[in-house]
Amino acid sequence: MAARVLILSSILTFSCFAEICYGAVSFSSLERTLVVTASHRQGLLIAGEDKITVAWGLNQSFPAGTDSTYRTIKVQLCYAPISQVDRAWRKTEDHLSKDKTCQFKIVEKPYSNTNETLEWTIERDVPTATFFVRAYALDQHNNKVAYGQNTDTKKTTNLFDIQAITGRHASLDIASVCFSAFSVVSLIGFFFAEKRKGGKGQQ
Amino acid sequence: MEISSNGAETQPKFALPVDSEHKATEFRLFSAAAPHMRAFHLSWVSFFACFVSTFAAPPLLPIIRDNLNLTATDIGNAGIASVSGAVFARLAMGTACDLFGPRLASASLILLTAPVVFFTSIASSPVSFLLVRFFTGFSLATFVSTQFWMSSMFSAPVVGTANGVAGGWGNLGGGATQLIMPLVFGLIRDIGAVKFTAWRIAFFIPALFQTLSAFAVLLFGQDLPDGNYKRLQKSGDKQKDKFSRVFYHGITNYRGWILALTYGYCFGVELTIDNIIAEYFYDRFNLKLHTAGIIAASFGLANIISRPGGGILSDAMGKRFGMRGRLWTLWTVQTLGGVFCIILGQVNSLSASVAVMIIFSFFVQAACGLTFGVVPFVSRRSLGVISGMTGGGGNVGAVVTQLIFFKGSRYSKETGITLMGIMIICCSLPLFLIYFPQWGGMFCGPSSAKTATEEDYYMSEWSSNEKDKGLHEASLKFADNSRRERGRSVHSQTLPSNATPPADV
Repeated sequence: MAARVLILSSILTFSCFAEICYGAVSFSSLERTLVVTASHRQGLLIAGEDKITVAWGLNQSFPAGTDSTYRTIKVQLCYAPISQVDRAWRKTEDHLSKDKTCQFKIVEKPYSNTNETLEWTIERDVPTATFFVRAYALDQHNNKVAYGQNTDTKKTTNLFDIQAITGRHASLDIASVCFSAFSVVSLIGFFFAEKRKGGKGQQ
Repeated sequence: MEISSNGAETQPKFALPVDSEHKATEFRLFSAAAPHMRAFHLSWVSFFACFVSTFAAPPLLPIIRDNLNLTATDIGNAGIASVSGAVFARLAMGTACDLFGPRLASASLILLTAPVVFFTSIASSPVSFLLVRFFTGFSLATFVSTQFWMSSMFSAPVVGTANGVAGGWGNLGGGATQLIMPLVFGLIRDIGAVKFTAWRIAFFIPALFQTLSAFAVLLFGQDLPDGNYKRLQKSGDKQKDKFSRVFYHGITNYRGWILALTYGYCFGVELTIDNIIAEYFYDRFNLKLHTAGIIAASFGLANIISRPGGGILSDAMGKRFGMRGRLWTLWTVQTLGGVFCIILGQVNSLSASVAVMIIFSFFVQAACGLTFGVVPFVSRRSLGVISGMTGGGGNVGAVVTQLIFFKGSRYSKETGITLMGIMIICCSLPLFLIYFPQWGGMFCGPSSAKTATEEDYYMSEWSSNEKDKGLHEASLKFADNSRRERGRSVHSQTLPSNATPPADV
């Protein structure tokens, strides 16, 4: 009986902790302690070809020890407000588990106290849109505890445009046209065959 | 093959028992015997293929919307476009069936819309996306040829069942595609294609399936139990009818219009739900897209038994209570569908929502099956036009409902669903106005006038000139076979004196 009570109470306690862990972490509760910059060539960036150089590090104006809980750094490509208009699947929500602003991972690696840079080739599944870069610092339970981004709070500066691949290939185009022509031609062929069979009289 | 005289009932050369029009009086699901069951299997498979193609885009939208840079408005418009094309296509198909036969009419439409599905692979903008969805949606007109074909092959005791199973298993495509397309896409992506190319390649599957099903229809199908239209017309066994007369008698039959309206609020609702339910569950309950897709698929998959169930129920009610039984059951089931729709918009928990949605799907889809238990009896000469009007009305219901309740952000989705439920109940009331002089309506019994017989009703579609030429004979046979719609309580009738027995051809 006592054992059962113990098990029950520990389950309850752990689930409470779990709630805190996975808990209602909101973006507005995060501190902007990281400095992030992203540099790239001028003009429209092409997915699959162009590179972005991302640099991140702790903002030295914060006291030492701010990053004591940081274990992992996760750098992501995020949609700028203009690319979120009339697209609810990219919506920014304060509640982090529902937030869909950042959908592409640039890199996720163990946190180190030094400034780091990375040259990232834009992946081919990135859509045509306007973006900025944000880095989240995660603690040992993989909860977000801090962030930094290369744009301002209103997300209006340092944005860059990326042009997606079309996904089309000449071979696909040719195959489509050929199969379509085949359908129509075979229909016409059937009609002719019917006419000829009908002309031969009854069965 | 010769046409037998009016007396002979069973021909040894048919695998199933048949009536005087050689329509099968039994429905054997696991047979593929020509011509009846073979026509059944060809029609439901080709209709299934068209449904798969028409709703192939929604499950892949998360990829397509990024590739083509679509906004929510673009997606909504494409969804409405996908069901609006079929409004007039269904009416046109109905007429084409009356004039050219369901085999040629459906195969032509399928082969002419297959190119559009192939071209979906090369869509590159919101406009091209909308256009391909619009034109692909035309293929849903094969619904009319399916129902017409079943009504031509199966007799009154089983016509509701045949129509219900063929329609239901075709509609299944809308649910199956939500499972098939993501699977095919995943396979192609895992082989090595990039996401934005993989979805394009994936569209070749429904397109090829559609093309092959059309070939099967052309090679193995036939329009009527006795043969194809062209051959029967040449031998004089089937008269070639005039488009203007067929069309006129269809659109002037008020019952066709009432059924068009009510079908808009069972099938139209089904199409609307197909387009919005995945997003509804995804947004309201924060599910993963994959999970929301499976729930969405289950709505369409219920068609495997719900619509056939409606057809079987219609036939059972017709056997016992005649046409009045069919009408009462249709009204009851459709109204209950509306009630469950209202409840669906009100429930707040995920499990309750899924449960209510499944119950709702059964009632709404059964109502579709029940509708097509009544349609074959509205007209014989213009069966295709009536089927086309009703089918087209279904799509109009989908367009109107999506425009009023599910476009933009005036109503939240749950409010929209509740309001849709109320509209279902209101738009089912006109069923009370349907009246057949020979069988009665929901409130009134059959007329006791001398001119209120099946023959009078079906002969009223032919002028005396046409009757002199003997064009009305098929209708006469049908009238005789439809006497069962009086219900079991009425015993067999003697032939009324004013019906002219047809001369041997």
